[in-house]
Amino acid sequence: MTLGPGAWPEDVRRQIAEAFESGRISLMRNALRAVQALPAESRGKAFRLGIVRTFTIETQVDVLALALDALPCQVEIKIADLENIEQELLNPASDLLQWQPDAVLVLWRLEELLPALASSSRMLTLEQRMTAISALQERVELLARGYSQASAAPLLLSTLPLPATVDLRDLHDAAGQRQAVEKINSAILECAARHERIAIFDFAGWVARTGAAAFDRKMDLYARQPIAAAAIGSFALFLARTLRPLILPTAKVLALDLDNVLWGGVVGEDGISGLKIGHDFPGNIYRRIQNHVLQLKQCGVLLVLLSKNNREDVESAFAALDDMPLRLSDFADIRVDWQEKHRNLAETAADLNLGLDSFVFVDDQAFEREQMQFNLPQVTVLPASEDPLAILNALESCWLFDQHRVSHEDLARSQDYQLQSQRKALERSVPSAETFLRTLHLCARLVPVSEHGIGRVVQMLGKTNQFNVTTRRHTEAQVRAMLNDARNILLSLSLADRFGDQGIVGLLIAVAANNETLRIDSFLLSCRAIGRGAEQVLWTALLSRAQTQGFGVLSAEYLRTEKNAQVADLFDRLGMEPVSCDTRRTEYRLMLPHAAQVPDWIEIFDESENG
Amino acid sequence: MKVKMDNREKLFTAVAGIFNVDPASISEKSSPDTVPGWDSLAMVNLVAELEQVFDVQFDILEIADFHNVEIIRTILADKGVSFE
Repeated sequence: MTLGPGAWPEDVRRQIAEAFESGRISLMRNALRAVQALPAESRGKAFRLGIVRTFTIETQVDVLALALDALPCQVEIKIADLENIEQELLNPASDLLQWQPDAVLVLWRLEELLPALASSSRMLTLEQRMTAISALQERVELLARGYSQASAAPLLLSTLPLPATVDLRDLHDAAGQRQAVEKINSAILECAARHERIAIFDFAGWVARTGAAAFDRKMDLYARQPIAAAAIGSFALFLARTLRPLILPTAKVLALDLDNVLWGGVVGEDGISGLKIGHDFPGNIYRRIQNHVLQLKQCGVLLVLLSKNNREDVESAFAALDDMPLRLSDFADIRVDWQEKHRNLAETAADLNLGLDSFVFVDDQAFEREQMQFNLPQVTVLPASEDPLAILNALESCWLFDQHRVSHEDLARSQDYQLQSQRKALERSVPSAETFLRTLHLCARLVPVSEHGIGRVVQMLGKTNQFNVTTRRHTEAQVRAMLNDARNILLSLSLADRFGDQGIVGLLIAVAANNETLRIDSFLLSCRAIGRGAEQVLWTALLSRAQTQGFGVLSAEYLRTEKNAQVADLFDRLGMEPVSCDTRRTEYRLMLPHAAQVPDWIEIFDESENG
Repeated sequence: MKVKMDNREKLFTAVAGIFNVDPASISEKSSPDTVPGWDSLAMVNLVAELEQVFDVQFDILEIADFHNVEIIRTILADKGVSFE
């Protein structure tokens, strides 16, 4: 696999790949130094990972740091003293929580959690063992519950690996090691299902995939360092994959070739009856691919069909093969023609109002993959081949669509983008923009941000690139801190029209700089909501609240990024005075009170006003 | 002649790399007393590095004897790594 973003120098990326291939700690450290020497702006956002653990991992921390830095992010890792789990996690004043981590990982295993049971289950009576197991289940639950009160950073609980040695008697023991691991793991998984801020690091799953090579008994006995030197690279990459959704935005679009990717054969040559997409080999592989793609769609990934074919052939094949998992209607955009694929994909990106770096492309033809990568380097091209199993593997091992949870907005997204094309069709049929907006029956709901909505707010801050004046990627903890000051104004906006509800699509955060001045920290709209006048609604609501609270000055800034050119003049349009300006940043001021107009084509419900 | 230089150099470089010191400061006499950062935890990485560099496996009692570079060299030589 390739490690490190494509924009990094080739030699640094090669150094990282070689380090992970060799597994040698010295090469890992050299690569880490090379990464840390890169300019900070190419290295992603800062991320603090706290680790509490029952075994030695500090000797291998550089490997963890390298895997995380390559995401990219600028990781800082703090490892708590051995076995100080509750001490660090339940007390808001502990060293670890005071350090304000962005996430905390708990690494543990049965050997330390229940040493008497792990060393020999027959040292204890059956009753004692049963009590010990249920006490440990309870400990997990108390930890999860207590932690949520002490800290807002996501907590990753690892699952416990199964015992490594063969012990047939233990398997048939009502309270043996195997029973203990299964029961405690089930308590751990339950915690994640119940608490939104708890996620799973599947240590047991990693051990199962890695096998005997995962552990080094010698080093475990010598220094309580169980993870083998030869396996720590793979462990670190799996940890990076698990943490990625907390650090970087999830890819939004999967652009797929059709022939020899979603079915075997070429529809234009082999005809519909010649296509392989049955339940038997080799059709079963393509069916698996379709099922995987459909599953991604159901989690909010948009599908785009990019195929060089006659459109009628493709339409009749989908119509005739109606027991395939995928339908044509599952695609948010269908580009079946003879145009170069990168041109089609660029048009799709413009139509859907999405950045090219949220696209992943799959094609069995090396030529198509290379042409795409050459022309649109921001697009992630999966390393597939003509072998359908390689395509399935590439899709399954792709990190970019990973998420810990699927949100309401994720579920609605696909349908929403299909509505987008209906809206575009309507837009073309009515004369002026305003007349068109009136036909939509827009309805905006203003909701002050509360504890309950922080997750969605952080998700939006993390994902929104285009309509975003400052592109600040605040963490949950940072948003919560802003909420704690009653003078700050945090407003979210959801939008609905006659085609459906888009959910929360707008956010405005303004913080009190002092008693006189209110400063806009963040102002963003999801790309699905641009061009409807939603920003006016947020703006007007902010002005009226600022005045009510007695602020005399509103200040704001525009911070230029590669993607947010469309809001370069937003504050000018809203009537603010530019006071200073350079190539990266413009500073604005506005004396309050200031009158602003709400677009009359939007009906507004203000939740804080309605109580 | 070349082989001798290579393996000795490899050994010194590995030790220096793990404890993050200048390879020129490492000698046969280097030990936890003379090299900053050579503690029992860092030893874990030294063992892994040497096993990978020389493609050998130490057994657990040998690790307990790693008191200085000279002893490590002797143990490696016993495993067929040539320092002659």
